Amino acid sequence: MSAEQKALELPSTVRGDTGGGARRRLFADFAWEPWALAAALLVAWQITGNALAGEGNPLLPPPAVVLRALWDSLPELGRGTVSSFLILVPGYGFALVLGVALGLLAGTTPRLARAFFPFAKVAAPIPPTVFIPYAIAVLPTFHLSATFVVFLGAFWPIFQNAASGALSVEGRHRDNARVLGFSHFEYLRKVVFPASLPHIFSGMAVGLGFSFILLTVAELFGANAGLGRFVQYYADFADYPRMVAGILYTGAVTWAAMSLLDKLRHRALFWLR
Amino acid sequence: MTHAGHSLRIERLKFAYGDATILDGIDLSVHEGEFLALLGPSGSGKSTLLRLIAGLEAPTAGLVSAGGRPVAGPGTDRAVVFQHYALFPWMTVVDNVAEAVAKAHPTLSRGERRERAQAQLARVGLGEVGRHHPFELSGGMQQRAAIARALALESPFLLMDEPFGALDPINRARLQDLLVEVWRGSSPRRTVVFVTHDVDEALLLADRVAVMGANPGRVIAEYPVAFDRPRQRAALFKDAGFHHLREEIADALDADTLAHLEAA
Repeated sequence: MSAEQKALELPSTVRGDTGGGARRRLFADFAWEPWALAAALLVAWQITGNALAGEGNPLLPPPAVVLRALWDSLPELGRGTVSSFLILVPGYGFALVLGVALGLLAGTTPRLARAFFPFAKVAAPIPPTVFIPYAIAVLPTFHLSATFVVFLGAFWPIFQNAASGALSVEGRHRDNARVLGFSHFEYLRKVVFPASLPHIFSGMAVGLGFSFILLTVAELFGANAGLGRFVQYYADFADYPRMVAGILYTGAVTWAAMSLLDKLRHRALFWLR
Repeated sequence: MTHAGHSLRIERLKFAYGDATILDGIDLSVHEGEFLALLGPSGSGKSTLLRLIAGLEAPTAGLVSAGGRPVAGPGTDRAVVFQHYALFPWMTVVDNVAEAVAKAHPTLSRGERRERAQAQLARVGLGEVGRHHPFELSGGMQQRAAIARALALESPFLLMDEPFGALDPINRARLQDLLVEVWRGSSPRRTVVFVTHDVDEALLLADRVAVMGANPGRVIAEYPVAFDRPRQRAALFKDAGFHHLREEIADALDADTLAHLEAA
């Protein structure tokens, strides 16, 4: 018994590495390649920008000009972010709740599976962008139409991944749940949901990507605020420094949201490591 | 925990998967408090028989009854320990056991369930690791926790499907001793069905051994194992009666295999 306990404690003592070795490893692990690529792109951008620079309005504003525009636009971009998130969060959140709930139910109830899966096969591949003009025309406010389209884009990947997660619950977990006398609801909550989390997170990542695409596309159509609207607005005025700044800023926001989701996934799936 | 009338009866049991008959003509009874080993080569359907008793599979024909009632599905009167320590990996060890406590005592609060689960873990020598997750434990410790969970159901029947098959010899011996100790230590005793392909393990643990043959799976012989308890490995392995019984069982298994070879 004591030998087993020692075996259990061993990894933590091994993991606590001493200073010198850790520092050397950190240095060896430092990945300079992405920074090199970024620097090369920046230089290429500067050179092309300079070459194209005519009088007045540059088509490709050089980095310094864009940075300046970005700095000047930060308050407006901040307000745009808030406006965009007021669409994104409810649309994505609703898709998440409904997609996971329906996906897990459909994946564990044969009758619901028979009802949902053929329908999903036809409905899911429709590019949600084609709904945008219709949603804007039919729904009373732009906010509602955009939220609906974001919901639609995020719902299908989350639903399909949750359902396939529920379908692939390992037999031993199912057996154990039955032997322990779990009710169907207990089985869903304590076994199917956690067991499907790896799939659900894949669906969430795909859905989040779609959400940002649909959000910005919808904003190009009819918004009076938001990230997509910012880019569209300054494109209309041929203010390319602000436009490029808006593109870069949107990229950064998307990246931040994706990283946050990835951190969440890493935390929730600790038992897979 | 009342064990009155907690015997198992299996009558004319048949189980088929499509055209393949896995089990046929099984008649077997296990009386209350008895430790029965189901011994057989792979392909003899011994695990399938255990799953039928657990209610995880439904018979094609015949009857399984536990405690006088026909088995119609899984029930918390029959705890099961599988070969691959099937704890839920997303729950801590103590929470895994607490799920079983919750079924045995639905009225307990969360804290009380945890306390009892912790006590059950301590009984199998895992008092220190309750708040860890299964992946942080060795195979032997995970199987101890699975046993703790099965015991926490406080069920009159305990069904075990090669529970020590994946363990190294030292852990296997420790857990064999632990199992017998826990079984003998509880009153009234549980009715145990223990599936194994290891003759020595069957003779060390069981009151009776049912030997199974293959194609289709059926019980070919039954042997009472009358050695005094507590049994010591060293003494048992020197015992002439032990070797005699061991030979007899090996012969029965060989005869079955030979009969199939000649038929083929």
